[in-house]
Amino acid sequence: MKEHLPPGISIAKSENLEEWQMDIRVLDENPLYQNQVYRLKFTFSSKYPIEPPEVQFIELPSTSETPRPIPIHPHIYSNGIICLDLLSSAGWSPVQTVESVCMSIQSMLTANTRDERPPGDSDFVSYNRRRPRDINFFYDDDNV
Amino acid sequence: MEQTFDLPDSTDWLGTPLSLLTPLESALRCQVCKDFFDNPVITSCCHTFCSLCIRRCLSTEGKCPACRSSDQELKLRRNWAVQELVEAFQNARPSVLDLAKRAATEDREDAEVGTAQPASKKRKVDERDGSNSEVSEGRQTRSRTKGVERQTEPATMDVVEDSQDEEYVPEDGLVACPICNRRMKNEAVFQHLDNCTGDPVPPKKISFGSLQPMSPASRTLNKAPERLPTINYSLLKDNVLRKKLKDLGIPNWGPRPLLQRRHTEWMNLWNANCDSKTPKSKRELLHELGVWERTQGGSAHPSAESAGSVMRKDFDATAWSTTHESDFKQLIANARKRSDALVRTTIPSAAPAQSQESPTVEQPVEATIPTNMQKPEQPLVDLTSAAYPKIQHAQEPGESEEPYTLPG
Repeated sequence: MKEHLPPGISIAKSENLEEWQMDIRVLDENPLYQNQVYRLKFTFSSKYPIEPPEVQFIELPSTSETPRPIPIHPHIYSNGIICLDLLSSAGWSPVQTVESVCMSIQSMLTANTRDERPPGDSDFVSYNRRRPRDINFFYDDDNV
Repeated sequence: MEQTFDLPDSTDWLGTPLSLLTPLESALRCQVCKDFFDNPVITSCCHTFCSLCIRRCLSTEGKCPACRSSDQELKLRRNWAVQELVEAFQNARPSVLDLAKRAATEDREDAEVGTAQPASKKRKVDERDGSNSEVSEGRQTRSRTKGVERQTEPATMDVVEDSQDEEYVPEDGLVACPICNRRMKNEAVFQHLDNCTGDPVPPKKISFGSLQPMSPASRTLNKAPERLPTINYSLLKDNVLRKKLKDLGIPNWGPRPLLQRRHTEWMNLWNANCDSKTPKSKRELLHELGVWERTQGGSAHPSAESAGSVMRKDFDATAWSTTHESDFKQLIANARKRSDALVRTTIPSAAPAQSQESPTVEQPVEATIPTNMQKPEQPLVDLTSAAYPKIQHAQEPGESEEPYTLPG
């Protein structure tokens, strides 16, 4: 499986069955994300795939060998938390895979033209201590 | 894990001349567990899953994982055709993959050595394989000469022809031991090979393997296992549910939510086993329930949602207090209000005395919580109080527990 992932998606870490890290990059010419690789962290519970994995971007400092910033996007908070309905309990389906989730996020980036963070980003980032799954997002944007 | 186990995967075909078998094998795998269909059943919306997988999904969500339409376990029907396809494919897989890989290696060698050599090399393979090599050669030439678009049909056809022409596959879901020819479940072959004597054994005699029924009695039980009905848990009292679990022969300890989850899992395991052509014994099912107990049930690490999470070592106290901050504040506010009222009405003289002991209270509340200790018959906090919502707003005008809204 490792060697046969779709273009722009690769496994960065998969030593155990609790946490995987994936690298993704956007394939088209979108200037917001060009020449940049982003790191996604998947955390699986014992109930996966009945329950969704926890997925968020993680940051590796620009000084490291593999710098990984948090992509700018109106649905991605600067702490890496992603507002995407298929990652919530309601939107998740057990037929999803790490690969399909990566592709969804990849296309979410590709389709974006807005160089901005979600409203209330700084408040959320400084105040939130909750796990992504406990947050009640409103999924009111169908153009993701 | 994946370094230690060579797990068969549909992508095994990529890089061989039979790469077009990848989608075929994918189609024979369950979308939930990604393994080959195990007792495949079809839903009302015509999607096929392993019996156990779809039962777990439906008992959690009540929806088909593929299309999200509502469905019920009762409506699941066995999908024999898919079962036979999977068995036939699994049976043929090792030899076909072996051939394909050899062909791939050959191709690479051909490329390295040049164009003059391959004929002699191929002849060597022919000698080794005997009649089989014709099949492999035929495939190679086809996949080499035809365009990618044209390949889909022939490649699929080949597999179907294989299973029909080369060998008859009995529909018992078993595979034959390569040494003694005795038929057994796929998973049992490796264990069996370790102590296979090579002597053909009459198939009736059962001397090994926990996968076989243990006694004539249990065999008759396995012949026609009765399905367990779904229970409307809300109609059952704790002790009735506990007794029910006991009657079923499964553990009946633990809090109520665990009892329900355990019963659901047992029902799923049991009913999925009813869909099997070769049902497992109850002992094996109990073993599987034991695995569930250790990973997701009562013996598992409590999940974040469960009540026990506060006792966990890695319990995130900051997150907990942030999440419940407003609750705490309300509780405190209510307690203060109540004790304040109490103090004023019952011990009027206590009010001035108490005020010195609560210098940190930001509101002009005269009594602190300890005052309440003197009145144990009064509830410390009354959450049903009509003043509750009012206090919440008064206490937390700036606090917001509302979900984050994104622009449309």
